[in-house]
Formats: sequence, structure tokens, C-alpha cells
Amino acid sequence: MEKFHIQLDELKDEVSDMGILARDMLEKSVAALKDQDTELAQWVISRKGEIRVIDSEIEAKALHLAALYQPMAKDMRTIACILKMITYLTRIGRYGKDIAKSAVELSEKPHIARLVSIPYMAEIVCGMIERVLEAFKTEELSPLESLGDKDDTVDALRHSIFRECITYMSENPKTISQCAHYIMIARYLERCADHACKIAEKVHYMITGEHVEIGYSTD
Amino acid sequence: MTDYIIETEDVNLWYDDNHALIDIDMQIQENKVTALIGPSGCGKSTLIRVFDRMNDIITGCRIEGKVFFKGKNIYDPDVDVIEIRKRIGMIFQKPNPFPMSVYDNVAYGPIIHGIRSRKDLDHIVRRSLESAALWDEVEERLDQSAIGLSGGQQQRLCIARALAIEPEVILMDEPTSALDPIATGKIEDLVTNLKKRYTVVIVTHNMQQAARISDYTGFMYLGRLIEFGETVQIFEKPSKELTENYITGRFG
Repeated sequence: MEKFHIQLDELKDEVSDMGILARDMLEKSVAALKDQDTELAQWVISRKGEIRVIDSEIEAKALHLAALYQPMAKDMRTIACILKMITYLTRIGRYGKDIAKSAVELSEKPHIARLVSIPYMAEIVCGMIERVLEAFKTEELSPLESLGDKDDTVDALRHSIFRECITYMSENPKTISQCAHYIMIARYLERCADHACKIAEKVHYMITGEHVEIGYSTD
Repeated sequence: MTDYIIETEDVNLWYDDNHALIDIDMQIQENKVTALIGPSGCGKSTLIRVFDRMNDIITGCRIEGKVFFKGKNIYDPDVDVIEIRKRIGMIFQKPNPFPMSVYDNVAYGPIIHGIRSRKDLDHIVRRSLESAALWDEVEERLDQSAIGLSGGQQQRLCIARALAIEPEVILMDEPTSALDPIATGKIEDLVTNLKKRYTVVIVTHNMQQAARISDYTGFMYLGRLIEFGETVQIFEKPSKELTENYITGRFG
């Protein structure tokens, strides 16, 4: 079984690396949006295929380990966590790609105002992803604390961005195209926060064997 | 006492100076499959042999504590051991059919217990072989030697032989360890069916097997029952670190 545990540890490292890639895609997509940096946006878009391949590879390895060693207890919970986690991480990466595409479209004319709420939202969401990755890696619960509160803040920011955009659009219909992008981006970031909470639930299960709900207070 | 079909109270067992079972308190639920797992020499086979007093015949074996079968301590002096073994059957690791025909193997027990009518015996043999999922395979060769059957068939024949005397509990000591995966699968399916009418206690070193077929699992180590609980809990979220280490292979 030593070989199995070595392979499982290696697989966990690959999942952590995938998590960092997903987080980077999200962070850089918002940076590209804010700075109207199309080159950076293109970097994010080009990573889309890569994260999909990593997802498939990790899934295949996890299933291979399950079939070969029929893991039990925490080993089984780790495999289960990995299989769910990679789906959420892929979606986060894909939202990064979607935001990057919006960033390319929005790079042609100046933003309607200085972007504050969206980068702030992204900062919180990236922080949430970092925390769940840390909990996954260290198998400690403490990084998962207050994740629900952060999710609430992200939800509130999305509503605030939505209302703000409605105001801009009513005042000046020429901003509709841009505002539609901002609303979508806020929605993507909010979904990423939800995915971080779902990952947190799986990591919590991996560590303790207990199923908990995280980040459902305002949903 | 009456909630469980078998209940042990502070059971300790020695083979001469070797303290093989230590302070075993365990409850076996009726019409459920209970599995005992643990590394070699942990006492799991010794424990199921306690349930039908099979250790009595081993010289140097001494037992303390109580083992209740339906509320009655089977180690009380007034207990008829033959009667206990009729009500609690045992299946061993290696199939051990008698060197006689398939029919006679199954009819042997009932005959010993006084059944003589051919019609009754025919009925018992058929019912037992059907319950052991063997009837369809041996229907045409009941008068042929049981030794000619495959290993898996022999083991199911031994189960049929045990069922013929209508026990209430069936103890199985690694019943599939000498069988190939297909024969093992048949025995596992059979165990799941048997619990509708019988209580099954199975010793296995195959943890996946324990996880597949049992309702309750006990993990034993160095003569102690370390953890006992519902099988799903034991294999998904064991509460003791020792159990976790054993079932995830981080042992030694």
C-alpha cells in the first residue's frame, strides 16, 4: 500500500497545482480587464485547453487508483474529494477564460468608471480559493473558517454591481453593452465563490468524514 | 440481553499462556451479516469459535466471561453443546465435504438428528441446496460423489449441509479465501440472501468483501475488539486511528 499512498500524495500535488492554475486564470482575467491588457487576457484564454487536459488526466489517475487499490476511509474520501474538486476548479478556470474574453471586448474603449467592486470581488474570491487549496493540502480545517462570510460579501457585491449597472444603463443607453459585460463578470465571480464553497465542503468531508454546508446563508 | 441473538460479556480466552481474546464485549444483531476483520493472529477466528464452543476441544484453551445466545449463557454447565452447534452452524475456510454423494452430504445432519422418511429427506436436501444456490448445478448428479464438485460448489454444498439442520446462526471462517473470484461472488450473493432467514457472522481478511456484504463490522487487533459499528461507518469514517490505519493499509 505504500506505493498507493505515494501515488495518492502525488495526485494531491497535481490537484493543488491545478487549483493554482485556476486561481491564476481568474486573477489574471480580472487584472486584464482592469488594465485593459489584451495580452494578459490572451494568456488566460490560451490556458483553457490546458486546464481541461489536467482535469481529464487527474480524473483518469484517480479512477485508476480507485480501481487498483479500492481505497477505504480517508483514502477513499480523498479520491472522492479530488473527483469533485477538479470539476469545480475547471469551472473556475473557464470563468476566468470567459472574463478574459470580456476583457478583450471591453479593451476597445475606456471603462465607464474606475473599476473598484469587480477587482475587490475577484480579490475575495481568489482568497477563498487559496484557503480551500491550503486546507486540501494541509488537511487542516482552520483555513475553511469564515468562508461562508466571505461568500456573503461576494453575493452582496454582485447585487451592488448589478444595481450600479442598472443606474448607468438607465442614464445612458450607450453603456448597455459594457454594463452587460460587467453584470456577467460579477455573476461569474459569484459562481466562482460558490464553487470555492463547494470545494470547501468536499475538503471538509475529506478531512473529517462529515458532510457540512458552507456558504448557503443568503442563497 | 434479548435484543441481540449473540452477546458476549467480558470474554477472555487463553491458549495456555497466550491471552488470545481480551475483554470482548460484542453484540450480534439477528438477521444481519456481521463481519470480523483484522490482521492474521488478531483473534477473529478464535472469537467466532467461541460462539459455538468450538474451542472446547482444544487442549490448553481456557475461557472466562459470558456468551449469551438468545439470552442464555452457552458456557453454563447445563448447556447441551450438541444442541448449540445444531443451532449455530459453522463453515470453514477450506470446503470439507464428506467423501460421499452430494445427497448424503446434505442428508447427513438431518439423519443424525433422527429424520428417516425419504420424502422428508428429499425435501430437506432440495430446500437446502436451493437455499445454498446450488440446486440447479447438482440436480442431475445428486448421487455422485461430492468430491467431484468444483471448489466453489463444494463450499456451497457445505453451506447447504449446514442449512439442512436449520440453524439460526451461520458462522463463516474465511469461507472464500480458497475460491476464485467467480465462486467468491456466488458465495457473497448467497450470504446476502441468507440473512433474510439466518444471522451470519463472517471472518474475512478481505476488507472489500466485508464492506460489500456485511451490515456490521468489527475490527480486531492483538486479541481486542478495537472498533465495532455499522459497516458503512467503519469503512467510510472509522472512529479509531488504529482502524483507519488498518483499513487504509498504513499498518506495521
